[in-house]
Amino acid sequence: MSWPRPGMIAAAVATAAVWAALAAPAVAVAGPAVVPSANPNDPGSAELVERPAEYDGASVDFIGEAVGDVMVRGENAWIHLNDDAYMYENVEKGAPLGGFNSGMPVWLAAELAEGIERVGDHSNEGDRVRVRGTFNAACAEHGGDMDIHATDLEVVAPGHRAPDPVHPLKPIWALALAVIAAAVWYGERTVSLRELSGAAKRR
Amino acid sequence: MIIRPRREDHLVIGKYTGKILVGVGLLMVVPLVTSVAFAEWDTALDFVISMMVFFIFGFGTQWACRTEKDLAWSHGLVVASGSWIWATILGALPHYLSGHEGSYLDAMFDVMSGYTTTGLYLIQDLDHISHGLNMWRHVLTYAGGQGIVVIALTFLFKGTAGAYKVYVGEGKDERLLPNVVNTARAIWLVSLAYLAVGTTALWLAAMWLGQAPVRAFLHGAWVFMGAWSTGGFAPQSYNTMYYHSVLYEVLVLIIFVAGSFNFALHWAVWTGKRREIVRNLETVSFAVSLTIATAVATFWLAKLGVYPDVMALARKAFYQLASGHTTTGFSTIYSRAFVTQWGPVGMAATIFAMAIGASAASTAGGIKAMRIGLITKAFFADIRRAVAPESALVRERYHHVRDHMLDDGVVRIAMGITVAYVTMYGVASLLGMLHGIPVIESVFEGVSAGSNTGLSCGITAPSMPWDMKAAYIVFMWLGRLEFMSVFALVGYGISAVRGR
Repeated sequence: MSWPRPGMIAAAVATAAVWAALAAPAVAVAGPAVVPSANPNDPGSAELVERPAEYDGASVDFIGEAVGDVMVRGENAWIHLNDDAYMYENVEKGAPLGGFNSGMPVWLAAELAEGIERVGDHSNEGDRVRVRGTFNAACAEHGGDMDIHATDLEVVAPGHRAPDPVHPLKPIWALALAVIAAAVWYGERTVSLRELSGAAKRR
Repeated sequence: MIIRPRREDHLVIGKYTGKILVGVGLLMVVPLVTSVAFAEWDTALDFVISMMVFFIFGFGTQWACRTEKDLAWSHGLVVASGSWIWATILGALPHYLSGHEGSYLDAMFDVMSGYTTTGLYLIQDLDHISHGLNMWRHVLTYAGGQGIVVIALTFLFKGTAGAYKVYVGEGKDERLLPNVVNTARAIWLVSLAYLAVGTTALWLAAMWLGQAPVRAFLHGAWVFMGAWSTGGFAPQSYNTMYYHSVLYEVLVLIIFVAGSFNFALHWAVWTGKRREIVRNLETVSFAVSLTIATAVATFWLAKLGVYPDVMALARKAFYQLASGHTTTGFSTIYSRAFVTQWGPVGMAATIFAMAIGASAASTAGGIKAMRIGLITKAFFADIRRAVAPESALVRERYHHVRDHMLDDGVVRIAMGITVAYVTMYGVASLLGMLHGIPVIESVFEGVSAGSNTGLSCGITAPSMPWDMKAAYIVFMWLGRLEFMSVFALVGYGISAVRGR
């Protein structure tokens, strides 16, 4: 077997580097555009974070998807409401990418939090709930956290299961690549063992 | 005259790069098992596809590059830096296949951020990603913290003398034990022991705070990995503010401060030398600069009246500053709150902390407390020499595991790397300014990327210009590998093309 000359390898490396340099921006530019969400809140979470002093202590009416956990702490609970591009539908259900998540932590009575039956995660679109309460730019009760202390909660739309469907081509790709990987591993191992036994015989 | 690398040089680099790629591919077993456990079949297939691609490249390269030659120093540097690029290109596949990344460049950004323990991210709708992908994000930052070369050294190298050269190329030069492979295993022993203890502590705390047992365990493991590796990735978009708990914050803080310490310091403490913590130049230097940064930020935030009481002020200021100084990047405030609440002085204090960073040969980034300590000691030694009688011989010592003489060679190296970091911070900041981003925000984000911290003031986002994303990938890579091995890779590329 003849080996490629170092010059050829260098040329290949250089070509790969140039390709990578050119392709990276290309795929970046070709990436899907960020779609803004229709936010039902005024102010929304982004506005509250951008101008906290202006809204500090204000009464707010805030709608968002409950995500993560309902963390009950004694008679109260923490929930997190996202009012971002995914509050109506998450990526697994086909929503276009719309930037980072955005939302607000909400502190409320545990009995109100019990009204939430489903929280959003990979397999679930969480309940969409409306809370009414007071916005705190730096909450005195919670170590300076930015939060909403809610006195009222209403489930606007119940959540639902949103399982991630298997892309039909992925099993085929996985199988084909596994076969190739096994062949390459077997080839590498066979050649290595042959060289090792050859070296042992020479000794 | 530039000497062109010979065929044997390419072969030895290819062979060891292949070994490291196989090692990184094996890491995907962890998120694959997680996906299967939670019946996330689409995600599981993403990991099968990605792992097979790693194996094809890894075994294929070893097959094509068979050689008995061992590594030279230059090979080690090239293998280390080159492996990080390949591991980033291939490791981005699960991110991209998940459909949560805007482009392959965004996926590569997140993976390089993970390996380099930076913690900046571009993944979208983080709150809905699968457990498998969340596990991968955290495993790669945990493994990146120990060093992906260390992984390969631990599992795939068999006592080769050349292994040490790859190890050094990854920005580590501590030999805890005489054999570098045993050193790599010792690093993993320390890290896995802390993983067990730290995850258990966070798991119990999270259950007490209201999380269900399984989620509390997963969050405990992920937050531990993000903290110990000083990575700063968290499973929810709210980062560590999500837990709203001083207990959780204290636990996380202990873990990321421990993670930011030099592995040699950990080893010394493990082997009974507990006084090393207060004697080591790195920990002393770190404590002094953290105190200064926290004092400035606290004074400024008190002046602005951002927080309602002293406890809230101290809690917020110390957590963000310690997170910045250890280059962790965890936060309990919104990213934009640095701009809208902390203001320019609060941000400047955070920039100062991030720029310095924590310990050398740890999971942390930045200039490193040791170099700042050495330069400061050398500065004061020069002043003493200037005022001392001409016949006086002024000698300076410093303590790092044992006592060392502070000679000019050590100071020159520390100064050289410091200048390289400051230059990189300057370039990163300038790039943001050229895009019309305000100066303080450009500097904050640029220093955060270059020092592998990951705190953001809102600049890093999927809508960020592509050239800033690409440049930040390079800055994260340069910062983590501390320049030398990256320069060696560039030199190798030039000599392959132009050498004779």
